[in-house]
Amino acid sequence: MTADRALSLDLDQHLPRIAARDVEAFGHWMRGAEPRIRGSLRSFAASVDVEGVVQDTLLRIWQAAPHFVPDGRENALLRFAIRTARNRALSQLRRRHAEPMEIERIEREAQGHDDPAAGPARAHDPLLRRRIEECLRRLPRQPGRAIAARLDSDGLQPDEVLAGGLAMRKNTFLQNVTRARKLLAECLTRHGIDLALELG
Amino acid sequence: MSPPENRQSEILIEAATTAWRPRSPSGEIRPHPAWADLDPAGRLAAYEATQFLRRLEAARDPEGLSTTVKAVLARLSPTG
Repeated sequence: MTADRALSLDLDQHLPRIAARDVEAFGHWMRGAEPRIRGSLRSFAASVDVEGVVQDTLLRIWQAAPHFVPDGRENALLRFAIRTARNRALSQLRRRHAEPMEIERIEREAQGHDDPAAGPARAHDPLLRRRIEECLRRLPRQPGRAIAARLDSDGLQPDEVLAGGLAMRKNTFLQNVTRARKLLAECLTRHGIDLALELG
Repeated sequence: MSPPENRQSEILIEAATTAWRPRSPSGEIRPHPAWADLDPAGRLAAYEATQFLRRLEAARDPEGLSTTVKAVLARLSPTG
């Protein structure tokens, strides 16, 4: 089965293997679930560090999966993850003593983004991947090195370490990543690619 | 060239887009320090930039995995 086909199906197909502690199956589930969870937290973005909440939620889902009972509708684990993410974000807001009216407003907005029925994100396709690689190759040297270090770090190392590995100061490294990100977006747009449309 | 305050804000925004997050001694994921220094508009910009980067990472990766997913998988490994 191709990755594209796998992602067009109900993500709950991975649940039995996840419950049996298959990390690879959880990776497949997260591939489709992560963008939806992140998207569901948009209304919290000005008040909560969404990246931290997404990672925390994914780790909690891994812990909860063996005991999870699907409700029979598709993407039950994803819907549970979105509820979990929202509750984590709300709990952080309350811990920071956010105004009750502000919490209510954010919660109301979040409900408007609650659309797991939109389906899991599409996987990459070879043409898109080739275009991205082409755009990466066309970057000026220093921005290209900086974003490559970020992309290859798998989120495991802080920027201080990545910058040090390239003999750059941290601020120079970050300015190069910003420049690379903007140039990449422009290059993809020139090729008629909108990642939001391509990948949901 | 952008004014110094804009440049500082851009640096903070970019710093917050990494999937790397500090952890407490008990392993709890903490907000990125740069994110904490951003104003609400900067945090929204960091969210948008992160979304772009995660899509890019997933599209570029042979398995379709973003750095967020890889960071979580690393936590699940025996040495994580």
